Amino acid sequence: MGILDAIQTGLSELLSHKMRSMLTMLGVIFGVAAVIAMVSIGEGAKQEALDQIKQMGIDVIHVKRASITGELADKAEERSPYGLKYSDATSIEDVCAFAKRIVPTREVFADVKVGEKPVSVKIVGTTPDYLAVSRSNLESGRFLLKTDMNEHLRVCVLGAAAKRELFGFDNPLGKMVKANNQLFRVVGLMEPKEIGSAKAFSALRDLNSDIYIPINVAISDFKIASQQAVPADLAKLQMIAVKLLSKTSLENSALSEIIVQVESDTATGPSASVIRSILNRQHHSIRDYEIIIPAELLKQSQQTQRIFNIVMAAIASISLLVGGIGIMNIMLATVTQRTREIGVRRCIGATRWDIVRQFMLEAMVITCVGGLIGVAMGVGGARAISVYAGWRTVVSMQAVFMSFGVSAMVGIVFGMYPAIRAAMVDPIEALRYA
Amino acid sequence: MALIEVTDLKKTYKIGSVEVPALRGVSFSVDEGEFVAIMGPSGSGKSTMMNLIGCLDRPTSGKYILDGTDVSRLSDNARAAIRNRKIGFVFQSFNLLPRFSALKNTLLPMMYSGESKNLKAAKEALKSVGLGKRFHHTPMQLSGGEQQRVAIARSLVNDPPVIFGDEPTGNLDSVTSIEIMAIFQRLNTQGKTVIIVTHESDIAMHAKRILRFRDGLLEADEIVKEQLIAVPKPRES
Repeated sequence: MGILDAIQTGLSELLSHKMRSMLTMLGVIFGVAAVIAMVSIGEGAKQEALDQIKQMGIDVIHVKRASITGELADKAEERSPYGLKYSDATSIEDVCAFAKRIVPTREVFADVKVGEKPVSVKIVGTTPDYLAVSRSNLESGRFLLKTDMNEHLRVCVLGAAAKRELFGFDNPLGKMVKANNQLFRVVGLMEPKEIGSAKAFSALRDLNSDIYIPINVAISDFKIASQQAVPADLAKLQMIAVKLLSKTSLENSALSEIIVQVESDTATGPSASVIRSILNRQHHSIRDYEIIIPAELLKQSQQTQRIFNIVMAAIASISLLVGGIGIMNIMLATVTQRTREIGVRRCIGATRWDIVRQFMLEAMVITCVGGLIGVAMGVGGARAISVYAGWRTVVSMQAVFMSFGVSAMVGIVFGMYPAIRAAMVDPIEALRYA
Repeated sequence: MALIEVTDLKKTYKIGSVEVPALRGVSFSVDEGEFVAIMGPSGSGKSTMMNLIGCLDRPTSGKYILDGTDVSRLSDNARAAIRNRKIGFVFQSFNLLPRFSALKNTLLPMMYSGESKNLKAAKEALKSVGLGKRFHHTPMQLSGGEQQRVAIARSLVNDPPVIFGDEPTGNLDSVTSIEIMAIFQRLNTQGKTVIIVTHESDIAMHAKRILRFRDGLLEADEIVKEQLIAVPKPRES
């Protein structure tokens, strides 16, 4: 008997018991649908993480100011009173051979307005190299220049969201922005920067509402933005007040972040350990900073993904196993029910192999149809999840083909035993079977 | 040359440790173009004989030559091919596949002969048994006589040299039985060898020769002197 005939027989058998077929297929349907939906969510999360990490760049190291609390905070107050400071950046520059660019940034408190309306934007003091390191692009005008720093010019470059907040649809170039009663001339405008919907990493913040000014201006004009806990006793409060009021030198000025770009992505690991040891010495082992290496985050996220995949494969195999057992059960019942048919077929010339093939193909038709429905449900489910939950999902063709292939395999594996049972039926007995 | 040649055929069934002889050495031969009825009471070995010459079972000892081939020692697969090409089966309970149309039931033997389906041959076979207007009816929509005629069409479609009928009229009323016997007689006059097993002597009298079995032995081998000729009564429709 030709394969097409056998498949046709399988389909008509399936259609003649619609309810039973549906129930039989349910296990495979749910199994496949679950796999595809879960892979899509996982893949979506992975893409999201990858995009964000790529946005940070895998050849950079971020050293961030970290706020510390409790007993450690007191210790930090004594031994490393300024947290992350400008001299850290210069010593990294001195020691770290792989460093290509070292960019200090200082986020500051400021009242920013154009006209009278205050706006929630963030002023960030930085150096000209920031443009390259942050992987941002200019839309118009120019970024900060060396001369701005040398001449201590009050100029600023607006992020896309900051520009919209301050100027709406007007062209801001050449106009003035008022921050803490100082006027800054707008010299440049950044392109909008894509940022993922769900933030997988705290290291990434929305750069679009930033306003960039020369870092020395930021140090002389503004206080650094920090989330330091207010100490309870008066003496400490006084100390902080004194520190805040006294003019500190450039070297001791606090920074929010130091971004180090290295020669190549393979150099991030060794560079990070050099930076860690310098800072450890300078900060007297107080961890009032954190080092974030996107390349390592990438590695971690890939590892997490691998674990996720293994767990999912295990869950999927369990549901497909259960589905397969259901199919085997029904196929065994079918073989008994159709004993006479088997006898007739054998009598008019079907070999044992013909019978095995027929029943195997019928089992495969069940699992493949179930697999197709499952694929449809899985893809639909992934869509629904991204619409209703707002998660990013990526339906990978690999998962679709894999789970469909596996459901066909389930048909082969679990159809085998019933098919062999069918082939072992004695035609003489079968014809006598009522 | 004889179409069927059976020499000292024995068959013993083992039930637990007890050996039960069903056939105890039977020899006969059937020439091409004969019409033979096999008769005997239950337990006489006639069903065992039918299974053996139908290539459904293998003898314990003895020789069976069908159409020039010794088939008594063939493998399961080889016997399946013999059943497909050389033998047409007609059963007491018709044994049609219930979800298949008359045409598809008739096509079934061709599906197993490794050739492409010959729709024309199947339609011809159905027409030859008077079912030219029933191609797409399922067995449920056909009367008993019509179902048996589909079964005969199915047995003819691969053009085998011999047709076996195992109590072919056992489930039919007398009028329909005559119709079926008329078809067998017509096939026989057209040159087909026909062998039927029956326990009704008036059915057996439609054959040309009767083999009587008793206690696993061939008791009598007689020529029918006054063969009954089946003349079906005309029906409306």
